Amino acid sequence: MRLIIRDDAKSVGEYIGNYIAKRINDFKPTAEKPFVLGLPTGSSPIPTYKHLIKLVKEGKLSFKHVVTFNMDEYVGLPEDHPESYHTFMFRELFSHIDIPPSQVNILNGNAKDLIGECNAYEAKIKSYGGIELFLGGIGEDGHIAFNEPGSSLSSRTRIKTLAYDTILANARFFGNDISKVPRMALTVGVQTVLDSREVIVVVTGQRKALALSKAIEEGINHLWTLSALQLHPWALIVVDEDATAELHVKTVKYFKSIERVQDEVEAMHEQFRASGGKDITGGQDA
Amino acid sequence: MASDNGLVCFTNCLLPLEDGSLVEQDLWVDERRGVILDAQRTFFLRKERPSKTIDLGGNILSPGLLDIQINGAYGFDFSVYDGDEEAYRQGLKTVAEKIVETGVTSLVPTIITQEKSLYPTLLNLLRPLHAPNSASLLGWHAEGPFIQMAKRGAHAPEFLLPASGGFQMFEEIYGAENLVEREDWLMTSEGQEDTVGVRIITAAPEVEGVKSGLAEVVKRGVVFSIGHSIATTDIATAAVVSGANLITHLFNAMPQLHHRDPSIIGLLGASPYVAVPSVKSPVSSSFPQIPRISSSSSSLQKKASGVAGSEAFDELDTPPQTPVLEAVDSDLKLRKGAVTHMPFERPFYEMIVDGIHSHPNSVRLAYSSHPDGCILITDAMKILDPHLRDGVHEWRDGKRFVKEGDKLYLEGTNTLAGSVVTLDKCVRNFTRFTGCSLGEALKCATYNPAKCLGIENRKGTLRAGADADLVVFDRKGYVQSTWVKGREVWKKVAI
Repeated sequence: MRLIIRDDAKSVGEYIGNYIAKRINDFKPTAEKPFVLGLPTGSSPIPTYKHLIKLVKEGKLSFKHVVTFNMDEYVGLPEDHPESYHTFMFRELFSHIDIPPSQVNILNGNAKDLIGECNAYEAKIKSYGGIELFLGGIGEDGHIAFNEPGSSLSSRTRIKTLAYDTILANARFFGNDISKVPRMALTVGVQTVLDSREVIVVVTGQRKALALSKAIEEGINHLWTLSALQLHPWALIVVDEDATAELHVKTVKYFKSIERVQDEVEAMHEQFRASGGKDITGGQDA
Repeated sequence: MASDNGLVCFTNCLLPLEDGSLVEQDLWVDERRGVILDAQRTFFLRKERPSKTIDLGGNILSPGLLDIQINGAYGFDFSVYDGDEEAYRQGLKTVAEKIVETGVTSLVPTIITQEKSLYPTLLNLLRPLHAPNSASLLGWHAEGPFIQMAKRGAHAPEFLLPASGGFQMFEEIYGAENLVEREDWLMTSEGQEDTVGVRIITAAPEVEGVKSGLAEVVKRGVVFSIGHSIATTDIATAAVVSGANLITHLFNAMPQLHHRDPSIIGLLGASPYVAVPSVKSPVSSSFPQIPRISSSSSSLQKKASGVAGSEAFDELDTPPQTPVLEAVDSDLKLRKGAVTHMPFERPFYEMIVDGIHSHPNSVRLAYSSHPDGCILITDAMKILDPHLRDGVHEWRDGKRFVKEGDKLYLEGTNTLAGSVVTLDKCVRNFTRFTGCSLGEALKCATYNPAKCLGIENRKGTLRAGADADLVVFDRKGYVQSTWVKGREVWKKVAI
């Protein structure tokens, strides 16, 4: 695992945005071989989306051959409800970039057969050969997607009941009326995320600090589902200074040293490629 | 260049919303159907996105402006008909084609009081018209003939009439076929599908028969506007209760605000606790109190002998009245904020914001008291033409006028001869006069008039399904380009 620390949420967004752009551009996606990207909602990824939009507008990045899968969607909330994740994704990202609508996948929380919807989603991900890069955020209780504390770490896309914490946290988006917050969601599973070739998680703000320390400094535990990331061979967590508040100094120092070394490794690798060497992705100091 | 799939995305722009705010957001339109799209639905359900993007460079993308009171422009006077239908239609087309340079994409041609036999023909010629590359003519606005002699302004005194017999007289004058139910009136227009059409009548509710005809006029789908009137507070309030929902050029051709009987202007401040009790009292008894002033009265003779004056400057003393205030027994309101529920909606009101017809202070006073009712109009004369130079110009009947900026005098006098201001300039003036934002000013020239006319699902708005009639303003409020039904019809020439 790698942990990148930046000063603030905006710098975190720029770092991840640039990183994703580089990955997509290096991948050289085509219609036959699209880049498959997993995407989250919530406040954490917004700076990243802003930066991606900027790169697209500057002509440095294109989503023409990118296929996206979103993590989750509420059950029973109309698609055009201001708080639906369809609305969020359209407003914060898809309306501003050049992605063809047919390449966007979001779970349908209004499907008649919700279980069928979830299974079809998993199948569709498989049909593309899996997800190349999954971007995620976490809740204050360390949940990734809607995999609330206690979720199976080998779970797949399914219906999930929201934790009371999450309902309380989301009430601010529903006029502070808890009764209006949806109780259920469809969400990719922890295993769905772990199956992707690369995972990037954005964690910003003091309120997420405890979850971050639980996920990376303690054992794998279904009460902090992000901790399952410890099993992933190519995981990157990008955080701001605030989010490191609960980490040991030793942890922070170690990850900072990795970043320095990684930069050197990448420079070497660049030279290697330039001299005709074959590129193998995944060989990171993780 | 047209878009491959017919969809266009306007980006890097500020959109004025229906609440007067300006938000940074894209707008998607379908240039083939000429409508504004629900972008999110288009993306997720139609699985389409615009193949053409237009970068507006941070400018404002507003709904097209609506002018609901305009007498003519570019040399054509809607009120002058010499029997040549073809020439009249050509005149309409010329105005519709040229007016888009002022940001106006919809207008309601207004005719002043006519010799009564002319109405049926004239109103029939003023059916909705949507010519290509032109602003839409939405219908007609008839000022008169049922207006108050004392507040007739430029209207010919010999043509003014009482509406004796109520609605029957309305039908007799305007023509029964022009006052039919809205749907029937629109159906007869040739080859026009899905037509937005409106009709407005300005009349004085104190004139005999007007009050009794009012409710039926409104029921037929005609907007009733109070104007050229000396209605007392009671009469004006009763008219609103009966369905009047507009005031014609506020402050002009009506009694000035008297604190004991605020009359028509006072409707803007209609008190929730006073308005209804006064209506409950038998209304009919208050009507005969205002005598009709005959045109033979000497003081009026004097005025009539003069040239057509401005409606802003004639005056008649209004007798003060004691306001009615019944004791209210219920608990008083404890929560701060919006005014308590009104028993009736205050009417919309038109203002000519040229800085001449109303002082900036008056404009701000009216707007502050009832911002949601404010409608900007030009009330422009046929000489309206932003390219017309200052100086002496021919008018009619051998008379000449002097144009000095937005001021228009009859030659050799200091009598105002009407308005020549453009609506986009009114918007700019309005933000300066009131201190409101550009978005709030635009609302008064787009959403408010559309709402008053009941066409806010199609015009004056950027909501999905509305006509893609758009104006691009720079941040100083100057028109950069105008679009009708999704097509650019005018563009500012770069200097």
